[in-house]
Amino acid sequence: MMSPAANDLLVLALPKGRILDEVRPLLHHVGIVPEADFDNPKSRALKFDTNLPHVKIIRVRSFDVATFVAFGAAHLGVCGSDVLMEFDYPELYTPLDLGIGKCRIAVAEPVDLSASDDPSRWSHVRVATKYPDITRRHFAARGVQAECIKLNGAMELAPNLGLCSRIVDLVSTGTTLKANGLVEIEHIADISSRLVVNRAAFKTRHGEIQGWIDRFQEAIGNAG
Amino acid sequence: MTDTPPKALAAKALLPTGLRDLLPPDAEHEAQVVGRLLKEFHRHGYERVKPPLVEFEEGLLSGSAASLANQTFRIMDPVSQRMMGVRSDMTPQVARIATTRLRKAPRPLRLSYAGQVLRVKGSSLRQERQFGQVGVELIGPDRADADAEIILLAASALSSVGAKGISIDLTVPTLVPAVARALSLSDDDYARLRAALDHRDAAALAEAAGPHASLFLSILGASGPAPAAVERLSAVDMPDVAKAARQELADVVRLIAAAAPGLSVTIDPVEMRGFEYQTGVSFTIFARGVRGELGRGGRYRTGGADPVGEPATGFTLYTDTVLRALPGPSPVKRVLLPLGTDYADAQALRAQGWHTVAAMAVASDLAAEAKRLSCSHLLTADGPAPV
Repeated sequence: MMSPAANDLLVLALPKGRILDEVRPLLHHVGIVPEADFDNPKSRALKFDTNLPHVKIIRVRSFDVATFVAFGAAHLGVCGSDVLMEFDYPELYTPLDLGIGKCRIAVAEPVDLSASDDPSRWSHVRVATKYPDITRRHFAARGVQAECIKLNGAMELAPNLGLCSRIVDLVSTGTTLKANGLVEIEHIADISSRLVVNRAAFKTRHGEIQGWIDRFQEAIGNAG
Repeated sequence: MTDTPPKALAAKALLPTGLRDLLPPDAEHEAQVVGRLLKEFHRHGYERVKPPLVEFEEGLLSGSAASLANQTFRIMDPVSQRMMGVRSDMTPQVARIATTRLRKAPRPLRLSYAGQVLRVKGSSLRQERQFGQVGVELIGPDRADADAEIILLAASALSSVGAKGISIDLTVPTLVPAVARALSLSDDDYARLRAALDHRDAAALAEAAGPHASLFLSILGASGPAPAAVERLSAVDMPDVAKAARQELADVVRLIAAAAPGLSVTIDPVEMRGFEYQTGVSFTIFARGVRGELGRGGRYRTGGADPVGEPATGFTLYTDTVLRALPGPSPVKRVLLPLGTDYADAQALRAQGWHTVAAMAVASDLAAEAKRLSCSHLLTADGPAPV
């Protein structure tokens, strides 16, 4: 009852940017060495070979990692739990917390507003965010209707320029908030990067995929 | 490349979200695949029923079908002044037939069906709002042999249409709830446990299950290719009430392995999503490299919690996903008949299995005409010649 030999293409989706630097040591531990072009910041390539002939790496935005893996275009991936909370794809398994890319998702508002603000009186808030679903759920859970303005970056500008009073965004050190005269008023969730796995791939290529999960698990131990 | 139709035509061509036209050769291919699946069901003693597209809402959405309410289009029947629903799943309709008009038919009752369903919303993986279902229900027997028969039938029907890399994932969706009840988990804890298991999230599971984390982690770990995973599951020290569910799973796995040793079977005892109304061994059908599920099925009771209900099991295949697991339509032998070809000659060719296409004009270059009309052959004085 075993599935056939495991040399079908295996695609690993990794997020661009900051998280990628933290993923590199893990890749090294699990024995995946990307081609040289992967580390060339000027490269326009999106798909990379590795030392393993059947393993390819794609480099996409964190939100798109979840989409590629959910649709089975990639089999494994690394993405933040913020993305998983926002989309909640039933086709994604999240077997491992990689313990990297740690930050939090929080509500922030201008410092002077927070001095006089009483959140218990809110019935409606207008919020600029990259995470409309998380935001709506967070406020709905306490009986407040959230009107979300979807932005893809530079959330911190919105309150200053009068787009809205509040934002929901990732916060790691809080320096960006401070520089923009904002203060964190509510913590929504702690965020870290997860190993994500396509459900159909997990079922039909179980031994192979479970093998990678085990190797990443060991890698976390070694790296920590 | 762009060949934009005039505005008026474009307006006519645009279909509502999730609905589409199937064109040649795909429409014919789909019909043939559905026909071959039904034939395989028929050869195994399953007889076809054909419920209507629309029913009264109370009947369509009663019992366990109530969960389909938010996926069902409603229309008012101007004749009876009652609300009707367009079916979004055929299984409850077939169960209804078994409990009403066929209540006196001898058991075990084996029924098959094929038809289109319509849903209010597509899912993230299947954007289509209309798609085909082909399936069977086996009503009456409450034993592992019935579960095994159904699973083996799904596998043999899929192989009869040429599906490759089929893999059947078995679960008993009653197992985890039974364990949770035995441990008296609170509703909140259970909800968090379910969410963690649904995503196979070991970290969240450890947090949600608290002192019972190692028990649930070992159940989670007992998934994978069947014989080995069943052994791991058997070794888990779990509350007695859950042992019956585990035994059912082991029995079915044993029967399938004996009947079809080459079939790829995995188990996943924490798989519960979409099996909320299943009461025993259930399964999902995957194919290597194919997005989404080819079908799913499992044990339930007709009439849901109603004590007059009967034990039953069955499965539904989704035609759109099944087609993705198959090679495309194979080319047919299609021959162009020049204008004036004798009718009897054409009839003789059709009797030999040719598809005939009659030319409707005198063409100077018949070979070119044959190609233009997607014919593989042209009828010449010496019979069909390839073009």
